Amino acid sequence: MNGITASCIIADHAVRKNGKLVFEDRHADLPGFLLSVYQHFGLNYPRFFKMDNLSKLGWLAVEILLKDSFRKADHEAGQVGIVLMNAHSSLDTDLKYFESAKDIPSPSLFVYTLPNIMIGEICIRHQFKGEGVFFISEEFDAGHFVRYTGGLLDADVLQVCIGGWVDLLDSEYKAALFLIEKEVLPVEGGQSRPFDVLAKENIEKIFRGEKGRTKEE
Amino acid sequence: MGWKNRPTQELTKRGIDEKRNGGEEEWKKIRVVVRTETGKYKMSKQINSGVFVAGLGVISAIGNDIGETLAAFRSGRPGMGPVSHLDTVHRQIPVAEVKLSNEELALRADDSRGVSRTALLSMIAARAALEDAAIKNQSSLRTGFVSANTVGGMDKSERFLQDFFVDSGRGRLREVVRHECGSITEWVADRLAIRDHITTISTACSSSANALFYGARLIRHGLLDLVVAGGTDALTKFTLNGFNTLMILDPQFCRPFDEDRAGLNLGEGAGYVVLVSERVAESVEVYCRLSGFCNANDAYHQTASSPEGTGSFLAMKGALERGGLQPSAIDYINLHGTGTQNNDIAEATAIKRVFDPRYPPMSSTKSFTGHTLGASGGIEAVFSVLSIRHGIVYPNLRFSKPMNGFSFVPETRFLENQEIRHVLSNSFGFGGNCSSLIFSKL
Repeated sequence: MNGITASCIIADHAVRKNGKLVFEDRHADLPGFLLSVYQHFGLNYPRFFKMDNLSKLGWLAVEILLKDSFRKADHEAGQVGIVLMNAHSSLDTDLKYFESAKDIPSPSLFVYTLPNIMIGEICIRHQFKGEGVFFISEEFDAGHFVRYTGGLLDADVLQVCIGGWVDLLDSEYKAALFLIEKEVLPVEGGQSRPFDVLAKENIEKIFRGEKGRTKEE
Repeated sequence: MGWKNRPTQELTKRGIDEKRNGGEEEWKKIRVVVRTETGKYKMSKQINSGVFVAGLGVISAIGNDIGETLAAFRSGRPGMGPVSHLDTVHRQIPVAEVKLSNEELALRADDSRGVSRTALLSMIAARAALEDAAIKNQSSLRTGFVSANTVGGMDKSERFLQDFFVDSGRGRLREVVRHECGSITEWVADRLAIRDHITTISTACSSSANALFYGARLIRHGLLDLVVAGGTDALTKFTLNGFNTLMILDPQFCRPFDEDRAGLNLGEGAGYVVLVSERVAESVEVYCRLSGFCNANDAYHQTASSPEGTGSFLAMKGALERGGLQPSAIDYINLHGTGTQNNDIAEATAIKRVFDPRYPPMSSTKSFTGHTLGASGGIEAVFSVLSIRHGIVYPNLRFSKPMNGFSFVPETRFLENQEIRHVLSNSFGFGGNCSSLIFSKL
């Protein structure tokens, strides 16, 4: 059975891993908050500083999602994929690029004027080479997400899928990512949640920051 | 048709069997098993997995058909020049435009005015490929259209936006109806009356190489008998401004594989091949076989290749393996060769890894056509097939200084009367998407 083995939510200046608050910084603005998350978790990746805010947010959420929850060595690069959704595409950077083009267009901003560039950043970091897809949707469509990721796993296209919602425009943002694995074995500490017919409701619960259904229930 | 290299009679079953004894992977027989509605299985006749090229069609800055294209290569006449059709403020940047206005293109493409330039170019080249293939019983074959592009109907959308920006109540909506890449393919497929399988591939600069790759797989697996595969792209503000922002446009004519190269020139056009199954190939004239293809990814950077050329290396190596060929079998490499610092060093590094110490002649035909983006793999597939057909190697224009650290240089002369058995064609795209195709003489 496919299962959710971890979740990470970054919203309202707080970071939650598997439903537990792991970091909070109420005082910083968005770029300052993203930097303090980077520093708090002791991350060291110079490329981070070249990214736009959307990629930084998605990249940080994946780092925290995978930390202590995912063993890269257990999986082939081609069998780990990424399924993301958001409402505002890369609009945050599109607008900044549009501004810059009035003077000298910025190559470094231009590179980020596509939302799937975030998938590229995550793949480059971890050398994932599986299927990648980005959906634009006004709201997080848990039903579509479950069907799509479930399809990829059931058809053996992927063994592991990292996916969810990463949206950002100006100071509004939210990342809610799930680590979904095929044939999940019981995880110590009971963090693994079933990913079955109830998955849509379960995913929606976790997305809202409520406690999801655990394996023990 | 003047440039077919084999009369039908020679392509007999016996001839193919003899070739298969040469041990080439591609000639292996496969069987397709399909589960039917009753839950039982239906087995196809044993089919051969060879994929053949039966027709060619091309339009680019150096010619509106194959004859004009070959004449331009022969006389070393590139297609770049000052902007004449594209509506842009960047008039100092050289581009390789197709030398026809939208109205002139429309007259050639079924008198279809008001249609995106991308679709008009596609229509002209794809129809030319089908006419060249001259397959009499096409309506009885399972036929597909796999067409690549990266700009869709952006040229029309840009016109729409001029009015829309001023007043959001203005702008003709008709101009954005075919904005999306897939709608270009559908418009052309309708006019070519192709219905069995229609799809669009958009993977940046490797798009149409991947269209050939996918078309070949559809045939190999017995799903289609004939596929018109290739791609199209028109010049737009969107692409010119985008590449200009990335600072990789040469303000002069581009110099691929030269130490002093300073970027690429954008071009436009369309190129298609008609791919047919071995069964169809038995009853029509064909040029050559598509014997190898491979797609790989760098996972390195959004708009740059890795310095080691990992993706390019894996694509070439994989295509050779698929074709059951040693590097020494390749007689000509049609380079991706954009003329950017990054692409050419990565591609050269990968070529060194695959071919050192024996290098076949190689050249970038983008020194003639400019970089036609989503069309380049299709256009260069046509050039590769013509290289086999006529025994020619195209010159790499404006090359003077070898790249540091490499012992090989591109061919600068137009070579004729060559024995060209296998041609490797490279197409590497943004996002690290790298594809190589191999065409082989029968």
